[in-house]
Amino acid sequence: MGVRQSDVYCDNWIQNVTDMTHDRAVAPRRSAGEWLHSLLSMPAGAILLLFLVVQLGCIVAGLLFPDDFRYLSSANMGIMMRSVPVLGCLALGAGVLMIAGEFDLSIGSVYTLTAVIMALLVGVGVDAFIAAPVGLLIGATIGLGNGFLTLKFNLPSFIVTLGGLLFWRGAVLLINGAVQVRFDPNPVFNALFSGTIFGINAAFIWFIALCLVFWAMLHRHRLGNHIFATGGNRAAATAIGVNTGRIKMIAFAIAGFMAAFAGILATTRVGSVQPGQGAGLELQAIAACVIGGLSLRGGRGSILGVFLGVMLIFTITDVLLLMRAPGFYLDMFIATLIVAASIFNHGLDRRGAES
Amino acid sequence: MSLLELHNINKTFGPLKALTDLSFTVGHSEVVGLLGDNGAGKSTTVNMISGIHQPSSGYISVDGQRQTFANRRDSAEAGIETIYQNTALVDCLSISRNIFLGRELTDRFGFLDLKKMREIAMQVLESAVHISGIDSPDKMVGDLSGGQKQAVAIARAVFFKRRVLLLDEPTSALSVRETEALLNQVLKLKAEGVSSVLVTHNLYHAYQVCDRFVIMSHGTKVFDVAKADTTIEELTQQVVLT
Repeated sequence: MGVRQSDVYCDNWIQNVTDMTHDRAVAPRRSAGEWLHSLLSMPAGAILLLFLVVQLGCIVAGLLFPDDFRYLSSANMGIMMRSVPVLGCLALGAGVLMIAGEFDLSIGSVYTLTAVIMALLVGVGVDAFIAAPVGLLIGATIGLGNGFLTLKFNLPSFIVTLGGLLFWRGAVLLINGAVQVRFDPNPVFNALFSGTIFGINAAFIWFIALCLVFWAMLHRHRLGNHIFATGGNRAAATAIGVNTGRIKMIAFAIAGFMAAFAGILATTRVGSVQPGQGAGLELQAIAACVIGGLSLRGGRGSILGVFLGVMLIFTITDVLLLMRAPGFYLDMFIATLIVAASIFNHGLDRRGAES
Repeated sequence: MSLLELHNINKTFGPLKALTDLSFTVGHSEVVGLLGDNGAGKSTTVNMISGIHQPSSGYISVDGQRQTFANRRDSAEAGIETIYQNTALVDCLSISRNIFLGRELTDRFGFLDLKKMREIAMQVLESAVHISGIDSPDKMVGDLSGGQKQAVAIARAVFFKRRVLLLDEPTSALSVRETEALLNQVLKLKAEGVSSVLVTHNLYHAYQVCDRFVIMSHGTKVFDVAKADTTIEELTQQVVLT
C-alpha cells in the first residue's frame, strides 16, 4: 500500500479514535437498564450479577441476624477460605481444558493418587519440598498421557478420561490399600500451604494468585488466544497455523498439574490422605465451570467465570449449612444451578449462532 | 510470467484418480473462475494449491519459482491464502484477535500487545472495502453475518500481503446484497494488484467479475477461455455437457 494511502488510513483512524473518545465521554450517562444489559452481555456478566446479589443478601442477613445467621463471623469466613481452594484449583485446570474443547474426568482420581504418593514419600523421609514437585510432575504426566491417547487414537476425551478415573482410583488402592496415609511435612511447608497470613488462609492466597496467573495466561497471553481458537474452531485454528494438537496436550497437562496441586493443598490442610477423597470432585469441578459460563463444546468462558462458579457453589453450600438444612438440599440446589446456568448459556450460544 | 502456475499435475488417492494432467495459470491482477460440477476435482485443486494435499506428479510454481507446499503455512508464505466458508475465522474470538491469530503481536514473554493489535485491526477494517455494520474490532466474530465474516477474512489476507486469494464457494451462504459487496471487494483488490480464484458453482457470479474461466470435469481441464471470447451460455454448456 502506498504512502499516501496509508496517510489516509491514518487520518481515518484518528477520526475514529476521536469518535470513540467522544462515545466514551457520553457513556456514563446510560440508563440503568442499558447498564444491566451491557453487564449481562459481558462474558460471565450474568454469573457476576448473581454472585453479587447472593453476597449482598448474605451480608444483609448476616448483619440483621448476627446470632442466627453467622455468615460474617470470622469462623465462617475461615471455613470458606479453607474449603474453596481445593475445588478452585481443580476447576481452573478443568476449565482451561474445557475451553480447549476437551474433558478430564480423571482429575479427582489423579488428585488422590498424587496426594497419596506425596504423603508416602514424605513418610519414608523424603523432604516435602521434593515430594510435592514429584506429585505435580506425576499429575502433569498423567494429563499428557490422557492427551496422547485422545489425540493419537482420535477418541473422545470423555471416554479416555473415564478410563483414567477408574484406572487411577484402582491404582491408589494398589499402592496403599484402603487405609489413610498420614502426611507430616516440615513446618515451613505446612506454613506455606495451610498457614495464615494477615488473617487470610495461605491456600486461599495460592488460589487467588493462581486465578491471576491463569487469567493472564488465558486472556492476555498468546497461549490463551490459541487455547480459545483450538476449542472454538479447531479447523480454522489449524488452517491459520496454530498447532492445535500441541495446545490440547498443554491443556491436558495443566488439568493434571492443577489436580496434583489441589491434592497438595487438601493434604496439607487435613494432615492425611483418604483413599476415597477425590471421588466426585471431577464432576463438581466441571459443574463449577458450567455455572461459570464455560461451554461444553469449548471455546467459550473466562477465568472470572470459573472463579465465580466455584465461589457460588461454596456460598450456597455455606448458606444451607448455616441454615441447618439437611445435606440433600445441597445436591438439589447445585443441580438446579447447573441446569439453569446451562439453559442460560445455551441461549447465549444460540443467539450468537443465529445473528 | 504468470503469478501462479500449475504444471501437469496428477493426483491419486490410492486407486482413485482425482486429477489428471491439470495445468492452468493465474496472472497478475487477474480474477479467474474455476468452474465445474460436483466431483470435477475443484476442491482437490484448491487443497493442493493451499498445501493440504501434495501432487502425485507435476508441480506448482509462483513467479516462475517451483514450489513444494508441505502445509498451509508454506503456501501462505508464498503469498497464497485460501478462504474457506467455515474454517476462516474463530467465532468465539474478537475480530482483532482473529486477524492476529497465529501471528500475535507480543512482548518478549508472549503477552499480547492488545492495544497495538486493536489499532492495526481498526486500520485493516478501514482499508478493506467498507464492511457494513462492523464498527469495532472488539466485536465477536460469531456476531457477524456470513458476508461480514468473509470480508474480515479477506481483509486479513490482504493485510498480510497475500497476492492470490482462493475463494472456495464464496457466495453460497451469502445474501444478494452481501454477494454484491463481496464481488466488488474482489474487483477492488484486483485494481490493487491482488489476484483471485473464485471456485464456484454459480456461473452468474463468476461471470460478473472473472477475467478468465477454467472449467474442470473428471479431474482435468476441459475449457480455458477469456471472458471476451465466450458467453454465459457457452460456459453453461461446457459445465453441463462435459
